[in-house]
Amino acid sequence: MHIPDGFLSTPVWATMDVAAAPAVGYIVRRAQRGFDDSRVPLLGVMGAFVFAAQMINFPVGIGTTSHLVGGALLAYTLGPAAASVVMCAIIAIQALVFQDGGILAMGANLINMALVGVLAGYLPFYLWGGGRWRKLAIFAGGAFSLLASAVLALAELLVSGVPMPASVLGVSLALFMVSALLEGAITLAVIQALETIQPGFVRKPETGRSFALGAIGLAAVLLAAVGVLAASTAPDGIEKLGLQTGIASHVRSLVTTPLTGYQVAFFQAGWLRKASAGLAGLALIYGACLLIGRAVARKRSA
Amino acid sequence: MHHVVLERWSQGASVMHRRDPRAKIAALMVFLVVLATAHRSLPAFGLALLLLLSAALIWARLPLFSALARAAIVLPFSLVFAAVCWLSGDPGRGFALLLKSYLSALAVLLVVATTPFPALLRGLEMSGAPRFLLMVAQFLYRYLFVISEEAQHMTKAAASRGATVRGFMAGARFRAAAGALAVLFARSYGRAEDIHRSMRARGFLGRFQPFTALRFRGGDAVFTLFASLAPVLLRAAVERGV
Repeated sequence: MHIPDGFLSTPVWATMDVAAAPAVGYIVRRAQRGFDDSRVPLLGVMGAFVFAAQMINFPVGIGTTSHLVGGALLAYTLGPAAASVVMCAIIAIQALVFQDGGILAMGANLINMALVGVLAGYLPFYLWGGGRWRKLAIFAGGAFSLLASAVLALAELLVSGVPMPASVLGVSLALFMVSALLEGAITLAVIQALETIQPGFVRKPETGRSFALGAIGLAAVLLAAVGVLAASTAPDGIEKLGLQTGIASHVRSLVTTPLTGYQVAFFQAGWLRKASAGLAGLALIYGACLLIGRAVARKRSA
Repeated sequence: MHHVVLERWSQGASVMHRRDPRAKIAALMVFLVVLATAHRSLPAFGLALLLLLSAALIWARLPLFSALARAAIVLPFSLVFAAVCWLSGDPGRGFALLLKSYLSALAVLLVVATTPFPALLRGLEMSGAPRFLLMVAQFLYRYLFVISEEAQHMTKAAASRGATVRGFMAGARFRAAAGALAVLFARSYGRAEDIHRSMRARGFLGRFQPFTALRFRGGDAVFTLFASLAPVLLRAAVERGV
């Protein structure tokens, strides 16, 4: 689900963009560390493969077909960081070339699908991919990857105030559940077929390494998913809680404080003030990210 | 295919096409933020922005109606949500979703249709996006077509062998599709290694050497200023007038 522009409220897309910029920067560095720079064609071509894979339909019932989404499959073959980078490139191309997904909403889409989706898909494989439960881990990874992205996207829409009656929410969750199971089944079938062709394609997860950390991560993701679902069934409750504890007003003052001093007198209209403060904030964050990035790069090359 | 048309459009020679990609990216961001934060008198503001974008499309000598139709690609997704909004008694929000998603897509289309993709990526790189990621995106764009065609050939071949016949065992068909994907994966992987080898043989060391440097001229600065001011002034005018 690529969220277009216009769906997310300003605090939501701005927060996601601000969170996505350093996260993508980090994951790109991580991918570069494990990859020779000149092997960049491989990642690009595998991205093209994921696009093309949508043309191969899997029969899943009477007259309906499904296709591979691919985040988990890439993570099992290229490694999680490289798979994330490939998914980032796919999301960028979808948004720019195919107008599928927004530009302001790209931070949200990147986090949902390229970062959380891929990492959530890799987690079960990382934990149990080496042992007896290998097949189940591969299946769970595929399902988990899709489910995590879908739940995140739904939560962002809900937080943005897109109204979703309980029935609609239930139906979409059920649909997501079905497509998650299908993604798991397709991923498992393709991985098995790949291993018959050439076993070297699929990575071997190291066994017994930081199991606890992985388990904590998995638990955190599960908890977050459950929390989001609970919150989305009672969004008013959360809002009430926020009002009661005064979190909402705190957050608001926290966000506006740094720029309230800069309100220019001739900007009489409230929105103009807000929008210019928002733009200035974005520019500041952008500048900070750029400077930090340059500094890190210089330190590394020195 | 969609991106072939875009590719042709982006080769134009209008004033809009000749602007530095960074100027267009900056103006696009301002446009999107101004649109995303608008809440009052949306119909009038939406109409004003639609006229602004249409004027820009004509100025860029792009086919207006096919561009307008092409941006409608977002509408099916938005329509579902707009219907839900309407059913739950908030038609205003549904309208806002439709309007904002359509106009945003049209603005992005305008920029992408007047900037060749490699130039756009270079503009993004100069604006601070990670180079490695952009190179991956460039390779992806380059081979998108090639691998998609291969996938099409494979599905056609499978269909001619009876893969789409109804009543055929679904389990077997499922496994066959998985096998086809695995073969496509292996072929893509092999192709990537060939590409890598031949690029290395030609002296590729992990980064592209652009033939011409991007230069941000006075005209680009003027364009950025006016293109950024236009949506802001329109919004001020519309909201003042109501």
